[in-house]
Amino acid sequence: MSWIREGELSLIERLSANILKAGPMPKHVAFIMDGNRRYARKRQVERQEGHTQGFDKLAETLRWCLNLDIREVTVYAFSIENFKRSKEEVDGLMELAKQKFSRLLEEQENLEKHGVCIRVLGDLMLLPLDLQQVIAKAVVSTRKHNKCFLNVCFAYTSRHEITNAVKEMAWGVEEGLIKSSDVSEALLSKCLYSSSSPDPDLLIRTSGEVRLSDFLLWQTSYSCLVFQSVLWPEYSFWNLCEAILQYQLNYLPLQKAKDLHKEQQALQQLEADRRCVAELLMHHGSGNGKPTDAQSRQEHLLSYVAEREERVQGFLGALQHRRDRYFTDLAALTALA
Amino acid sequence: MMALVYEFVWRILHALLHLQRALICWFRIRLWNWRLWKRAVAALLVPVALSFQNHKKLGPSAGKRSLRRVRWGADGKSLEKLPLHVSLLIAEEELHYTDIANLVVWCMAVGISYVSVYDNQGIFRRNNSRLMDEILKQQQDLLGLDSTKYSVEFLNNKNEKQDHQVLSCQAVVKALSPDDGKPSIVKAAQDLCRAVEKKDRSSKDIDIHMLESILRDSTHIPDPDLVLKFGPVESTLGFLPWHIRLTEFISLPSHTDVSYEDFFSALKRYATCEQRQGK
Repeated sequence: MSWIREGELSLIERLSANILKAGPMPKHVAFIMDGNRRYARKRQVERQEGHTQGFDKLAETLRWCLNLDIREVTVYAFSIENFKRSKEEVDGLMELAKQKFSRLLEEQENLEKHGVCIRVLGDLMLLPLDLQQVIAKAVVSTRKHNKCFLNVCFAYTSRHEITNAVKEMAWGVEEGLIKSSDVSEALLSKCLYSSSSPDPDLLIRTSGEVRLSDFLLWQTSYSCLVFQSVLWPEYSFWNLCEAILQYQLNYLPLQKAKDLHKEQQALQQLEADRRCVAELLMHHGSGNGKPTDAQSRQEHLLSYVAEREERVQGFLGALQHRRDRYFTDLAALTALA
Repeated sequence: MMALVYEFVWRILHALLHLQRALICWFRIRLWNWRLWKRAVAALLVPVALSFQNHKKLGPSAGKRSLRRVRWGADGKSLEKLPLHVSLLIAEEELHYTDIANLVVWCMAVGISYVSVYDNQGIFRRNNSRLMDEILKQQQDLLGLDSTKYSVEFLNNKNEKQDHQVLSCQAVVKALSPDDGKPSIVKAAQDLCRAVEKKDRSSKDIDIHMLESILRDSTHIPDPDLVLKFGPVESTLGFLPWHIRLTEFISLPSHTDVSYEDFFSALKRYATCEQRQGK
């Protein structure tokens, strides 16, 4: 079963897709693909068969997303908490992942045709080395593609991701690339595994559970959340349309809430910058205690902001370089083997 | 040409959906009014009936209050599991303090220890004392004078302990705003980075437990087990991203005129949720 399924929508599906597309469409959709095991139990098939069908459904859903002009999809494939499952099941899932990522490598041409870029988000170090290598190869070989994006969260939890971002910033401070006062909401967002993606507009969880289970907690603060009772392997085009309809109904109030949040974030950044400038002025100049006038204070602020942004850009460049190298090195290792 | 047709159909579809939503809302209020009427009639008839039977009763309202209290307490015990911390997330433009206060008092009466109230504009946080007064008032109204049993601790915005208006420790009520979410994580990150800057700590020491303990100390309360979201917007609206890892979300259409039955059926739904914690 391949990653990108060829095939067109039926006439009625195409018609509905076109009607939906007349309204605001989500650009980035995230899925918690829950219900594979319950599906297997319901159909009285092996658990592994449920997971396999779940993967096939993902391939189908990706095609629907393409048909609906949704260019970015993020899926929760394997949580760090899932390592607690039975050894047999974990091994089965690792094997499935290895098989699917290897398969992906055989589909280069197809991926190139559609311009699919695959990213894997998570703490890959927790995985067996052979799987790490296959993943790295898939990531490296699709890195340049830029038409659509598939982010696979593997060995992922959101708290782990946030903690990792804090660690990266602390590393930047240690290396003297940034100052601790440069730490901000925007910078933290840029240090997450998902730094190259916009926040998802829509998050869909199947199988009727109504919690986020440590998935994209930071990124979905202002996303539309849709909980659907259908089990993942039974997910249909119409379920997806229903979720998009929900998103469209929520579009205006969510946009308003996002704008308010952006405003507050900018305000907080300005306050932080002002504080830093005031501190700098206290330390350096004006020993005579004369308060500087408004204009020169504004100039100080502007030059401080420019310096801060330069520091942050330098740090983010170094971070990206380090992450890229991790994948390149791993992929090269396989080439040798 | 086709694009115009599609847009026209889309507009009709959305007009219908909005109409459906408005109708549901209208029916809910009608139903509620009807229930109120029934109750009012019952309330008018019952004292008459009672007065024929026994004359030495305390007074109907005091009796009713204690009855209600016992019933609500028993309701709480009848559930298989009760959340330790319930958050009331209001995703509506108009805020009604009395309805919020009712919800908080019901939470306390069924035996929930921590209640937080959130809106994404920080209105409750700014009007903390008004909310607090309203809760005390509703507590009197709904539960009678038994304020020793159902006392409330209000946690203030500041982190200093002396700022808390402590009445007792039966239930803790806290108003939360977006500032308790991402900005509090950023602050924790800044503090850790400052420690690294001063060489008090290495970046390698930082782990989930460290961040978790800093963030728990900043809110003073356990992670919410249940969020009751009121209003049509399907989003967490910036609510405590770090703390809602395992939180169950249950949506109710509106907090305006919300009834105890609606509230309790949401708790019943929570009681049936099974958490597998990754397994």
